Amino acid sequence: MSKVNSVNIKPIGRKTSALDKVLRVALYTVLITVAAFYLVPFIVMLITSLKDVEEIRTGTLLSLPSSLNFDSWVKAWSGACTGSSCGGISPYFLNSFQIVLPAVLISTLLGAINGYVISLWKFRGSDLFFAALLIGCFIPFQVILLPMARTLGWLGIANTTTGLVFVHVVYGVAFTTLFFRNFYQSIPGELVKAARLDGAGFFTIFYRIILPVSTPIIVVTVIWQFTQIWNDFLFGVAFSGFETQPVTVALNNLVNTSFGGKEYNVDMAAAIIAALPTLLVYIFAGKYFVRGLTAGAVKG
Amino acid sequence: MANLVIENVKKSYGNTEILKGINISIKTGEFLILVGPSGCGKSTLMNSIAGLEDVTEGRILIADKDVTYTTPKDRDIAMVFQSYALYPNMTVEQNISFGLEMRKVPKEERQAEVQRVAEMLQISHLLNRKPAQLSGGQRQRVAMGRALARRPQLYLFDEPLSNLDAKLRVEMRTEIKKLHQKLGTTIVYVTHDQIEAMTLADRIAVMKDGEVQQLGTPQEIYDNPANLFVAGFMGSPAMNFIPAKVISQDGKPMLELATTSNVALPFPKQEALEAHIGKTVLLGLRPEMITEPQPHKEGQPFVTTTEVEVEVTEPMGADTMILTRVSDAEINCRSNPMYPAEAGSIIKMMFDTSKAVVFDQSTGQRLDK
Repeated sequence: MSKVNSVNIKPIGRKTSALDKVLRVALYTVLITVAAFYLVPFIVMLITSLKDVEEIRTGTLLSLPSSLNFDSWVKAWSGACTGSSCGGISPYFLNSFQIVLPAVLISTLLGAINGYVISLWKFRGSDLFFAALLIGCFIPFQVILLPMARTLGWLGIANTTTGLVFVHVVYGVAFTTLFFRNFYQSIPGELVKAARLDGAGFFTIFYRIILPVSTPIIVVTVIWQFTQIWNDFLFGVAFSGFETQPVTVALNNLVNTSFGGKEYNVDMAAAIIAALPTLLVYIFAGKYFVRGLTAGAVKG
Repeated sequence: MANLVIENVKKSYGNTEILKGINISIKTGEFLILVGPSGCGKSTLMNSIAGLEDVTEGRILIADKDVTYTTPKDRDIAMVFQSYALYPNMTVEQNISFGLEMRKVPKEERQAEVQRVAEMLQISHLLNRKPAQLSGGQRQRVAMGRALARRPQLYLFDEPLSNLDAKLRVEMRTEIKKLHQKLGTTIVYVTHDQIEAMTLADRIAVMKDGEVQQLGTPQEIYDNPANLFVAGFMGSPAMNFIPAKVISQDGKPMLELATTSNVALPFPKQEALEAHIGKTVLLGLRPEMITEPQPHKEGQPFVTTTEVEVEVTEPMGADTMILTRVSDAEINCRSNPMYPAEAGSIIKMMFDTSKAVVFDQSTGQRLDK
């Protein structure tokens, strides 16, 4: 037997022929090209923001700045004019945080409780309730603009930060519920039964047993909601007052406001500043995002 | 410690009746096993006892107190689940003491109780681990520890051994039996494994289609099954069912079978057969009652030796199962491994009908009760 086997076994090795090498070079060339293609806009933004207006006018798009000049960043942050006020985008940057933080926290918490109920405390019609909630994921933003404006006016929170938080929570709950519901679907119902027999109630079970195992999906939901709400423009422009504009709206105003020549360097710096928080969230939590999205797909 | 009374409990989802009027009453300290095929309603009944599902009709009493509409936590019961349902974020110690904490037991008492239970189940060295760091058998012990720590009136076990491998299952089975003997607790235990049922129970309730088919001690169920279903469900290999014609021979009703030739077997309860002369009934005979000819049984009243043709033999070590065909039904016989039986050969076998039972062919009901 062993003799027969030893004859039949072929050595499995990596013999790289010339063709293999060519193909490998081609592969990396394609990958690098595609990566560069995606990076170019950002690079252009970055180097443009570091040039002064004269340099932008005379040089090409990709020519490097002669010296590092952060004046445009300072101006974008605290001196550029957005509409009639000239305080840079910093107040609006803070506005955005004031909108995003409560909206993310509230919508995530509501989604977690919704998902907990729909998955683990099924009631008559809970599946129908979930299906109805899912429709919320597919309603285009524009459709609810007018009804929402009426609602906000009726509630007396039109043009306020509270109003914007409210809109984002309402719009976000459908997504956050979907995330949490799918995650909790993989938690065995016997866990809740055991806790009930142990004497724990609805919120005790949620707080002591379910939430501690929810970290992956909380990370996913927070990243998703943070990005969505931070990048929102439509709700921001429609429902904010002059004082409560989020940074996306301010950026638009800044770019559209010009006295004399267009200051592309300031525009670019402002755009990068406005995008920075979401960028940082992805850099620091991106791996949890991917991990969380796939959690539950494979039973551990 | 308490008794449990289940009175005419019914449960339906819409138009589907899951439980069709269950009546079971067990004494303090009794070990009751609910056994039946999947979908027979045994888990639903268990959840109803626990209060995790409402019943549509009927009453449930624990310690003579009506708990039909009481919440699970106020019923003072503990349950061990098939998946163990250990809290994944808590250590073994926290898992065991969680129920006590919820009942506001002071911390020192909780710690003492955890120690007591951990020693009893030999898991003291695991107290600081998380469930994910435990083996299947260890998780099983922790799940039992969690139930024991509260010292409830009633324990419910929902197929607790199904997720263990064969060897560990037998070990834990013995352990549960020892624990029951030591603590004298009242236990309701659900399983679909009839060997578990036979070995553990004081009494067994065999369920099918939301009804209790028979409630009795393991030996009663084994020797005296109420109907064809119970007879076929309990015992491994299963009881043989042989179509037999009731004939009258010398004024006595006998059961006629077709082996290699026609043979008439005597039956202990003659009066039960008298009404069926001329009809065909199902004779139920356990495999161990069909053996090789045993000299010491020769001449006993209900023993008949006849020839059969061997189809297949299955040596099991202690015994050899011989498969043969009688009256066109496949028959399992348990014989001595030394008895020569070759496939295709014709051999003598001894049919002992002293413990035989007969069933109606169409309804499956016992005819000789």
